[in-house]
Order: sequence, then C-alpha cells, then structure tokens
Amino acid sequence: MTNKNLNILQSFNILYLEDDKNLRLHTKDVLEDFVNNIYAVGTSNEAFNVILNNKVDVIISDILLENENGIDFLKFLKEDKNIQIPAILTTAHTDTKYLLDAIKLKVENYIIKPINIKELLNTLHDILLPVIQQKQIQKNNHIIKTISTVTDSKQVEVVNFIFNNLNNENLLITSYSEIMEKISISKPTLIKLFKELSEKKILTKVQHKTYRFDENSLNVL
Amino acid sequence: MIFNFNKIRAYLDAISFSGKTNFLIFIITGGMISITILSQVSIFSLKHDFDVLFEKRTKPLIELEKLKDTYKVNIYDTYYDVSKGNISYENSREVILLAKQLINKSWTNYKRKTENKDNQPSYITTFITNLFPQTNMFKERQILGENIIRNIDKKILIISSIMDNINYYFQRDEYYAASKNIEKLNFQIKSINIYLTSLSNYDLKLAVNEKRKTEKVFNIIIIISVISIFFVFLFSIILSMLIINNFIKLHSSLEQKVDDKTKELQKLNDSLEKKINVEVANSRKKDMIMFQQAKLASMGEMLQNIAHQWRQPLGSLTMIIQSFQTKMMHGKLTDEFVDKKVNDSLLLADSMSNTLDDFRNFFNPDKVKNEFSLQSCVEHSLELSKYLLEREKITFSLIIKDNIQISGFFNELSHVFLNIINNSKDVLTSKEKTLEKRIYIVIKKVNNLAQVIMIDNGGGIPHEVLPKIFEPYYTTKYKSAGTGIGLYMSKQIVEKHMLGTITCKNIKHKLESEHLYDCAKFIISIPIKQEGYNDK
Repeated sequence: MTNKNLNILQSFNILYLEDDKNLRLHTKDVLEDFVNNIYAVGTSNEAFNVILNNKVDVIISDILLENENGIDFLKFLKEDKNIQIPAILTTAHTDTKYLLDAIKLKVENYIIKPINIKELLNTLHDILLPVIQQKQIQKNNHIIKTISTVTDSKQVEVVNFIFNNLNNENLLITSYSEIMEKISISKPTLIKLFKELSEKKILTKVQHKTYRFDENSLNVL
Repeated sequence: MIFNFNKIRAYLDAISFSGKTNFLIFIITGGMISITILSQVSIFSLKHDFDVLFEKRTKPLIELEKLKDTYKVNIYDTYYDVSKGNISYENSREVILLAKQLINKSWTNYKRKTENKDNQPSYITTFITNLFPQTNMFKERQILGENIIRNIDKKILIISSIMDNINYYFQRDEYYAASKNIEKLNFQIKSINIYLTSLSNYDLKLAVNEKRKTEKVFNIIIIISVISIFFVFLFSIILSMLIINNFIKLHSSLEQKVDDKTKELQKLNDSLEKKINVEVANSRKKDMIMFQQAKLASMGEMLQNIAHQWRQPLGSLTMIIQSFQTKMMHGKLTDEFVDKKVNDSLLLADSMSNTLDDFRNFFNPDKVKNEFSLQSCVEHSLELSKYLLEREKITFSLIIKDNIQISGFFNELSHVFLNIINNSKDVLTSKEKTLEKRIYIVIKKVNNLAQVIMIDNGGGIPHEVLPKIFEPYYTTKYKSAGTGIGLYMSKQIVEKHMLGTITCKNIKHKLESEHLYDCAKFIISIPIKQEGYNDK
C-alpha cells in the first residue's frame, strides 16, 4: 500500500470530527486498524470533551459541520485554550476562503473530500513521524547516557567529540593533541580507541589528521 | 368609314368623363339654340317673303285694275258721254285730265312697285333659291313682262295721242271725227286692257311662281330643320349612349377596382392573419424557450443541491471501498465486515439514486395527474432547496393545519413552490447578515380551497414592482440570472393546470418571533375537487 511505515501510527490517538454519520462510521472503521485509538465524534462539544479527557495526537476535522465550523473549533482550541494539537481539515469545498483560514491557523494539511485514505494516512504519518523520531532520539540519548554511566566515561566523551566534529562529508579533521586539549585522556588510551574504531571500519584514516566516518559499518555490528 | 368611326370612337373614349358630359351638354344646347334660331329666322323670312309677295304682286295688280277702270270708265265713258252730248266737252276736260293724271300715277306706281328693291326676297330665301336654282322660265317671263310693259307704254302713248286727237276734234266740234277717234280709242283701250290683263296674269303667274318658290323654300327649311333636329337628336343619342357606355364602363371598372381592392384587402387580411399566426407561434416558441431557460436556470441551482446531496454518500462510498483494502491489509476482512459494508454501500447508492430520481422527475413534466398530499409536495420542494437555504442560513418552518389531498401534477406544483422559495431566498440573501432570515409556510383548508401561504421576511416587494411580478420577462434581478419567467410560469401552472389562483401582497408578520417583520406573502389557492380539469 505504501512505502511509508504506517505502523508508527499504532501508538497514536486520533480525534475525528465529522457530522455525516455514515462517513464518520466508515472512516472510523478504516482508521481504527491503523491507530491506537480513534475518537469519532459529530460535534465540536463532544470533540472538546474528548480532548479534555484523553490524549489526542492528531485532530481530523470536517470544515462544514452542522451549524458550526471546524475551522472555528480549531481556532478556539489553538487561540483560546492554547491546546496545540496538529490538525487535518477535510472539506468538500475548494473555496479559497477556507483555504486561507486554514493556512493562517497553521493547519498541517487540507484534504478534499471524498477522502483518499492513502492520502490521509500519509498525512498522518508525516505529522506523527517527527513525534516518533523525537521520541527515538530521546530514547537513544537515554541509552547513551545510561551506557556512559556504566562504562569508561572518557571514551564516551571522545566518541561524543568525534560525532560533534564531523563535517557534512562525514569527515573528522582533527589531531590527538587537539582532542587531548579538550578531553583529559591519556594518549595511549586515545590511540587504542582510534585503532579499535579503525579496525571495525567505523572511523578510518583517510589522510593525515583526517578520518572518515562510515555509517554502514555500524549496521554490521 | 368604319376606321374613321372607330377613330372618332377612340377619340371620344379618350375624352374624360366630364369632358364628354360637357360636350353632350354643349351639343344639345348648341343644337337647340341653332334649331330655335333657324326656325325663328325661317318663320320671319317666310313671313317677309309673303309680305313681299303681297307688296310686289298683289298691290301692282290693284294699280293695274285701277288703270283699267280709269281707261274704261273715266276716259272712254267720258268721251262717249261727250260724243252723245250727255255732258259738255268742257265738263269732260277736267275728268279726262284727272283720268290722265290717275293713269300716269297708277302706271308709275306699278312700275315702281314691280322694280322696288325693298321688296327683294329675304337673304335666306335668296340663299336657298341660289342653292336650288330654278328653271330659266323666270328669265323668259321677265322678258315677256318687259315686252308687255313696253307695249302698254306704247299703247298709253297711242291712247294719249288719240285722246289729243279727240280733244282736238271736240274743240273744233267735229263730232264725227271725234266719234271715229273715240271708236279708235275704245279699240285702243280694249287692247290696252288686254295688255293690262295679260300683265296682271303675268304678275299673278309670277306671284304663283314665287309662292311656289316660297313653298319650296319652306319645304327646304322644314327638311333642313328636320334633318338638323334629327342630327342633333342622333348626336345626343350617340353621345348619351357613349356616355352611358362610359358610365357602364366606369361603373364596371370601378366595380372591378373595388373588387380588386377587396381582393387585395382580403389578401392582406389573409397574410396578416398568417403573419399573426406566425407571430403567435413565434411568441409561443419564445415562451417555450423562456420556460426552458427558466428551467435551466433553476436546474443550475438544483444542480448545486444535487451535488451537495451526492457528496456525502459519495464520501462514504469512497471510504467503504478503501476500507476493504485496508481491512485486507490487516487481515481483518471478515464476512461479517463485508456484509455490513456492502449493505451500507447499497443503502448509500440507493439514496444517491433517489436524489437523482428526484432531480430527474422534477424536470420531467408529469404525464398524468395524480392524487397527492399537498404537504408532501411542499416538503419535496423544501427538500430540494434545503441545501441552498442552509447555506444562506435561512430557517424555514412548515406548519400543516390540514393535511389535504389534491390532484394534479406533482412536479409542476413543486416547481411553483420551489420558485417562490428561491425568490424568497434571493431576497433574503441580499439582506444584511444581522437579519434572522426566515421562510414560513402554512398549509390550510379554506372552504373548498387548499391554501399554501408562503411568507418570507425579506422586506416585501416594492409597490411599483408588485403589480408586475407575474408578467412574463419581468425581472428585478438584473445582475443575477433572472429570466423574469419564474413567477409567470408559476402563475400559468397554478391557473391553467391547477385551476387555482396565485396572489401576492406585503404584510407585517411576527413569524414566530418577537419582531414584527416586513414580509412578502404569496397565497396559492387550489380547488380541492378538481372537476373539469384542464388536461393540457
């Protein structure tokens, strides 16, 4: 269906605001397979209750609701309640009036009805991916920090230095003395570390004072 | 001759009618006048001729008779008496002298009268006499007359010489010689008497001649006047005939002209009738086109409605179709799920189909009249315009006081309601947003009439517009796509097809709120029992 990993959606809760009962039901049936939880509601009041009582990651809202307006609801959330939740608008209208309002509200996307589920899922993916990644980074940081507490902290510092000083071409231009100036590490330990990295082809010497970092070598580990 | 006659005829024909009449009058008057003058002149000349005859021929005869008598009585008798001695010579002298004078006088009188130029015959007589010359008898006779007159002159001289002799002898008293001379005288007197008699005969003959001549002249004049009368008469007749002919021709030509003109008028009339028919047909066609346009215009509005009504089920259907794929992906495509979704989609497709049917039926004229509920018809119209009303934030309320069944064309009537709702919508749309836009519809029964009252608070209809709103091609929607046919068509449908009435007025109404609004109110009344239904 898609080359994007939609499994990432599995952990998220989605609020779906649509006044047409049929469409609401069917869309819910589709989306519930992809996400952790889908709250399908017909009015903005219900939607607000859901937001107050549950964790909502993305709001999907129709613009023209019965007697109300999805844009007005989002405005109310973002401006009045300062609840910043990414939102997708769906509408049968290609009216620029709505489009402009949507852009001003910094809505994440604007989907024309009838809804193409692929488009909707991709949009959800695009919105939620940074969240996932953020989580991942945070997790990795936690891992590194945890590891560093149980292993030699000096070596971890050097690795940290190496990655911080990689240029765009994954090249590290430095010397042992430079490293030693920043980090209080003995030269033999430093040489041993570089040697070890070089053996594992993680950081190979290209020329004098220049080392290349090879991402692929990490996968071998 | 015929050619000439034809030429004359042609010429006469060519003369104008009044010319002919004038000519006829001229001819008749001229003829009458000439006849009158001619007859007068003839009568006078004849009288003159008779006078002349009398003067010239009769009076000289008297002179001649006198002459004769004088010779016989005065001279001879006197001389005879003297010779007998009955009277004296002296006495007789005077008598003789007197007689001589008398003779002279009479003779000269005679001569003068016969030669008198005054007694010439009248000019006309002369003219006619010259025109019809007489035999030479007159000339011979003249010579004869002259001879006689000469002889008489001689005799008179002889007698006077004899008388001189007698007188001589008597003076000498030679009675014998005297008596011998008297005898001679007697003889001479007798001979002169014979001459005189023959002269008077001659004169009488002349008179007879002249009388004949006069008669001839008279006859000629009569003939001429008869001929001229005849000609005048003929001319008059011919001219009258011509003029009558002309009249007839004129009459017939006028008749022809009138006929022609009548035919032309008839033709013109026919062509006008044709033209009118064509124009009527054209205007019908135009009406049809306008109806069509009005339909198209409302179709455009309807289309938005339909589109909106289709969007929702279409969205749902799209979602259902995609759901099969996603369920399959997750291995959750159970029979139960498929059944449920298929049912749902069939329901959706059904509703879409119904919407289409509504749309199609609306624009398809009903073929037969049906019995239907007025309420359902109004609801149908509201349903069709619901989307547009919602979009313009117009609220509507339908109040059913009586549920009425009527018979007629459902779609047409629905069209009427839709039309009025659309008009209300157009007016309300143009109002400011603060106005709470309302349409208020009541269905109720009044006597034998089903009434639908439609009120909107769009401020009512301007007074100058109100009388014209049902006229065709009248529109106030200059900028929008108003055809001006909507209300006209509505009126036609209600009045002609439903036998009802449609009226409009401005009222003030609360429309279930606290404000008093200026409202336009349409009342559509339809007879509940539709007898004598006009099946178009």
